[in-house]
Amino acid sequence: MRAAIEISELSVNFATRQGSHAALDRLSLTVMPGTICGFLGPNGAGKTTTLHVLLGFIAPTSGSATLLGADVRQSIARERIGYLPENPDLYGFLSARELLTFAGRLFGLDRATIRRRSRTLLEETGLAGDADRRIATYSRGMKQRLGLAQALINDPDLLILDEPTGGLDPLARLDVRRILADRRAVGKTVFFSSHELSEVESVCDRIAIIARGRLVAEGTMAGLVPPGQTLERFFIDSVTDRKGGET
Amino acid sequence: MIRVMAIARLVLLEMIRRRDVYALMIVLAALLLALLGLNVFGLGGTAGYVKEMGFLAAGLLGWSFAIQTGARQLPREEQTGTLFPLLAKPVSRWELVLGKWLGAWLASCMALAAFALVVLAAVACKGGRTDLITLLQAYALQITALAAVTALAICFSTRMHSDASSTLAYLVTGTAFLLTPRIPHLLTVATPGAREALLALYYLLPHAEWFDLRRRLVHDWGPAPWSVFALVVVYGALWTVAALLAAWAALRRKRFDRGAA
Repeated sequence: MRAAIEISELSVNFATRQGSHAALDRLSLTVMPGTICGFLGPNGAGKTTTLHVLLGFIAPTSGSATLLGADVRQSIARERIGYLPENPDLYGFLSARELLTFAGRLFGLDRATIRRRSRTLLEETGLAGDADRRIATYSRGMKQRLGLAQALINDPDLLILDEPTGGLDPLARLDVRRILADRRAVGKTVFFSSHELSEVESVCDRIAIIARGRLVAEGTMAGLVPPGQTLERFFIDSVTDRKGGET
Repeated sequence: MIRVMAIARLVLLEMIRRRDVYALMIVLAALLLALLGLNVFGLGGTAGYVKEMGFLAAGLLGWSFAIQTGARQLPREEQTGTLFPLLAKPVSRWELVLGKWLGAWLASCMALAAFALVVLAAVACKGGRTDLITLLQAYALQITALAAVTALAICFSTRMHSDASSTLAYLVTGTAFLLTPRIPHLLTVATPGAREALLALYYLLPHAEWFDLRRRLVHDWGPAPWSVFALVVVYGALWTVAALLAAWAALRRKRFDRGAA
């Protein structure tokens, strides 16, 4: 079976005044289709850099990555994916409906499909009543939900989310969890980074933990976390080892 | 092409909703009203004077609008973070450049048309008339120039902040408009060293003066020869394509890494 995400020996170096900083250091990771994979790591571990390489924002220094079999350096790799950034900055001068139409056009969808999917997504995210209001007037939580809706407009096979529940109230978090579970139920893949360990525990089939640009743990929750230990303890231990006892 | 059109439409929508163009139209209308009301050097009453000053002001406002609109597209997308969901779609960097340019250019064309209509209304108030063919030629050359100006502004903005790129675009195009037509004269009085530099500038800078048919409009000289008109359009198109290719080359491998670590 073809992997949804295949990362192989991926390195990214950033130039700094002191020379070069390795944001990712020979990172390898495989995410199989139909799973929800939580991507964890402390601040500065390389989570966002990994997502940015996968989305083509950053070219890797070395190594390779594919999304649904396509090289991430080609725009075609992004045809069957949806992405929600950590802080979804959206065009404030558009309405939610216009934003979804714009997103749909970028995926080459026809107008009838865009209309149909927009209606469903606006209802699912609880924005149907505000669909024609300017996004500039939305609250942070509303923007987050709209960001999720625009990520789903093309009915993606792979959903990449960066802190998807940040800024959401508990009820909206439940909605997001439900949406993610629905995606898994129809065989779609979700890959998301988060600091919310309880969130990860409740929705993920697998977790991958990264520290200092390297993968330190990867597997199912049951396979990784020893009986009697919490994910939080396991996460801290994993990250602390990599940091040489800093934490 | 769907993606390019979608991005261009977004730029147009933003222009309409930002209302910059309305503010500029009010400035132009106020200027023309002043021209109509005042009798500067005893020329205030003539339609030719209103026409000359009006079209000059419309051209300058159109030029400024094109630079500002072109220069802010990419840096603002990056600064506000809207670029990230956009690039996460199957949009290539070339489609991004082309869409942004097309939108900024069409917005500038619409703004220039609106400015020209205000000027024509003012000229009509003074009982002046304007030859339609010359007017259309002048408009076509102006929007060809705006295509190149917008492309240059976008090109500069791939590596600079919007303020810096608009300043550079003003400098390059302003120098091209003011200096290049005078270079042949300056060559006759320049020292040998300066002559080389002037010649280099003459060939390097775009010839903005070739796109300006204002005098033909004001003095009713009639349209420019069609062969010359076509050559100038091709010249403008070449500048536009060159600037867009340079923009794409600069953007192709650019890292967008806000918040990454």
